[in-house]
Amino acid sequence: MIMPLINGLKITLKHMFSKPVTLQYPTERPDVAPGFRGLHALNVSHDRAKCVACYLCPTVCPAKCITVEAGEDANHDKYAAVYEIDMLRCIFCGYCVEACPVDAIRMTQTFELASYKRADFTYNKERLLEKK
Amino acid sequence: MVNLTIDEKQVSVGKDATIYDAAKAAGVKIPILCHDKKLHPFGGCRMCLVEVEQMKGRLIPACTTPVTEGMIVRTVTDEIVKARKLVLELLLLKHPIDCPVCDAAGDCDLQNLTYEYKVNTNRFVDEKFNHAIDYDNPLIERDMNRCIHCGKCARICDEIVSYGAYTFINRGIEAKMGTEFDGPLNCEFCGSCVSVCPVGALNSRPFKFKARWWALNKVKSVCSYCGTGCQLTLGVKDNKVLTTVYDENQGFHNGQLCTRGRFGYQFVNSDRRLTTPLVRKNGQLVEATWEEALKLVTDKLAAAKSAPASAAALTTARLTNEELFVFGKLFKETVGTDNVDHSAGYAHEALTKGAKASFGITASPSEIADIQKAEQLLVVKSDAYETHPVIGFEINLGVKRKGVKLQIVSDKKGKLGKLPGAKTAVHAPGAEVALFNALCASVIEQGLAVDAPGLAELKGSLSAADAQATGLSAEEIAAIAKEFATAEKALIILPIGQGYPGHDANLAQAAANLAILTGKIGKEGAGLLIMGEKNNSQGAADLGIYPQKGGLTAQQIIDGAASGSIKTLYIAGENPVVSYPNRAKVEKALDAVDFLVVADLFLTETAAKADVVLPVVSFAEKSGTFTSLGRRVQNVRQAIKPLGLAKSDFEVLSTLNSALGGARYAKQGDVFAEIASSVAGYAGLTQAKLTDQGVVVPVTVSAKLTAVAAKTPAAQAGKFALVTGSALYHNGTMSRFGEGPMYVCPDGYAELSTDDAAALKVAEGDTVKLTSATGSVSLKAKVGKRVPKGVVFAPYHFGEASINSITDGAAVTFVTVGK
Repeated sequence: MIMPLINGLKITLKHMFSKPVTLQYPTERPDVAPGFRGLHALNVSHDRAKCVACYLCPTVCPAKCITVEAGEDANHDKYAAVYEIDMLRCIFCGYCVEACPVDAIRMTQTFELASYKRADFTYNKERLLEKK
Repeated sequence: MVNLTIDEKQVSVGKDATIYDAAKAAGVKIPILCHDKKLHPFGGCRMCLVEVEQMKGRLIPACTTPVTEGMIVRTVTDEIVKARKLVLELLLLKHPIDCPVCDAAGDCDLQNLTYEYKVNTNRFVDEKFNHAIDYDNPLIERDMNRCIHCGKCARICDEIVSYGAYTFINRGIEAKMGTEFDGPLNCEFCGSCVSVCPVGALNSRPFKFKARWWALNKVKSVCSYCGTGCQLTLGVKDNKVLTTVYDENQGFHNGQLCTRGRFGYQFVNSDRRLTTPLVRKNGQLVEATWEEALKLVTDKLAAAKSAPASAAALTTARLTNEELFVFGKLFKETVGTDNVDHSAGYAHEALTKGAKASFGITASPSEIADIQKAEQLLVVKSDAYETHPVIGFEINLGVKRKGVKLQIVSDKKGKLGKLPGAKTAVHAPGAEVALFNALCASVIEQGLAVDAPGLAELKGSLSAADAQATGLSAEEIAAIAKEFATAEKALIILPIGQGYPGHDANLAQAAANLAILTGKIGKEGAGLLIMGEKNNSQGAADLGIYPQKGGLTAQQIIDGAASGSIKTLYIAGENPVVSYPNRAKVEKALDAVDFLVVADLFLTETAAKADVVLPVVSFAEKSGTFTSLGRRVQNVRQAIKPLGLAKSDFEVLSTLNSALGGARYAKQGDVFAEIASSVAGYAGLTQAKLTDQGVVVPVTVSAKLTAVAAKTPAAQAGKFALVTGSALYHNGTMSRFGEGPMYVCPDGYAELSTDDAAALKVAEGDTVKLTSATGSVSLKAKVGKRVPKGVVFAPYHFGEASINSITDGAAVTFVTVGK
């Protein structure tokens, strides 16, 4: 009868003196694991986005949250004239990164995506390029 | 039949089949890169290697090896797979792996096979090609670095298009697909090469980077330009028609298209499309609601019901059969006027009057399939290639593959005349009827005529003057007549259209006379094929969209409008200001009409004069049926939603009809049922029965010879004979809104012979001024050997400097040409 009570208090006492599992967010920051799938970022090479607008990411995207529109630049090369991700739809599965044939997109460790306006959840090419 | 075994399957095929054909019949897939069912076997890629029991020791190409009795074929063995992998490895050695930016990805034979055969490494190493990419061409982009040397582009251009724009140049590893002097591509831009290219070496430039192949929704429909009725597949994404997709199994033409069909689709999603109704207020066209616009039209048409003779309606033959049916109901029954016409009146007379008089039907007795079955073709005007390019391909194939003999009678030379063995008799301008009369006379004289009703009457009407008027020698005429009459199966091909005022009922009757007189009617591969200009010209004739009870013809409607007797005029899609003869007269007439309604896709020159403009939709935004020349009824399928507030003509006409007290037609499918029950030949048809192939409407011909008087215009001293017609890249006035045709042929021109140009000191591209009794117009000169001395040719499609400023409905207009 008394033993379960003691066992329970033992556990309580143990935790009182060990490191807490909770964080005092936002003053304390979590360590984000290297493989974490947060906000997307477009990779840059030679001062321009690496993306060649092959449309594989919108094709593979299960949430249909990526909009790409290709354009033709002065050298007749293909580039993404429009690249938009709707973060309200994104399920952070990372398929876009996996599908990309030119390593143009990656997922960062940014997880704080809350915003006040619906429009702010649409990340266009400029915003995705800024992310480091 | 030959029996053989392929992969344990028994199959029996014709003796001219190859192993590849047999495998296809047995349902066994053999990979190919260089083979196309439309082309002669080539055997260049070595992907189709198979093993034949009787020829052990080496692998046999399936696409070039004919079948033999008892052959035992295996298409998949370890050795074969190894050989195919080697072929792919060697191809990928030079092929740039730029699939992410290549528009062919997804529809690329090389990509698909590489995936299928799991070629993910390469034993060999080499540098890639470094050829310059041809970006200069507005329609076809050539990246020869991607080329796998299958030769399909060169073969299709040679065998079917008969242009020969490509050939292999250099040898060995240096070999590449080259053009004339290795310069930029300069051809007729039909894009056949693009359609058969198995990789992304040839791309459609208007579609470049627009969408990936797999993202396109493919909708099967029918081309809305000429009367050939080519089936096409529209590539649709986000409510936009982005391209036409090649499907080798479509239609009699196996997916072959011409420039306008393949590259002229941009008018569908053009920024210039009308998206709201417009109503004229204080002299300006301003945006209005449908209620307001339709109320105005309803009120005016309701008022016209009490005086139906003051109302008239013109339509284009581009509407669907269902729309034309409601159009006829609305104006002929509900409003009660017979002043209903289409195609300028004269451009359908060959069918509605000529064929009616000679055959008792408003259609050609022959169909498209007859072209390749014929032994002898008699083509009226070399322009048959320009007006109906895909029929031109059929003629090319007939002449080159089936040994069909080709005789052209024309006022100018043309591409068809360059075919092997083709003969062109260049006659005096406007002498077509005289020529046919002379041919009939010669047939009778040579004792080659058969008895037919009306023979005595015809004999009495023929005179020796006709032969003289043609400008051809008696021997030449006799030779043509003999060749035509003695051929077992001989077919006359007669294009008609708004550019050809001379191709009227008389010419159709004169041509029919020759066919009847030589006993060519009612036989397969023989007779007369009258080729309507627009996609549904045949349908408009079938549905009786022309005055039948003494109403005014299109020309009389214009005259009536000018004189004030026509007060209300409804124009559906027609653009008389540009396409009817005598522009000044038409403009004056349309200005004089009290109330002009124009339903069109664009604010055309005609719509700009309207009191109410109704925005309607293109063929891609509606369903229905078109009847092509040769009477094939085909399904048109809606591919996208209507743009803006635009509605289909069907909806507009049906709403008007019910508002005016007539029936309300809710669905176009129901109307087709009514057409089937009321139009001869369509009985028993349903849209479901038409399937993808369409159905050829049967006809019963009662042939009769009719006397036709030839009115050959006499040459005028010091003046040029102006003949109008169609440019290869255009059809009617709508192709001006398709970017593809406008890249290649943006303006009108006047084509002169080199002799005349030299005498006038005019060089290609100079501006020449053509003056007739009607007016004058300045056009760019085009100089060539196509037109004979003393003749000028000008296409009619263009709004600026339109040739109808100087024509007045005559077959030949005499003009002076100055700088």
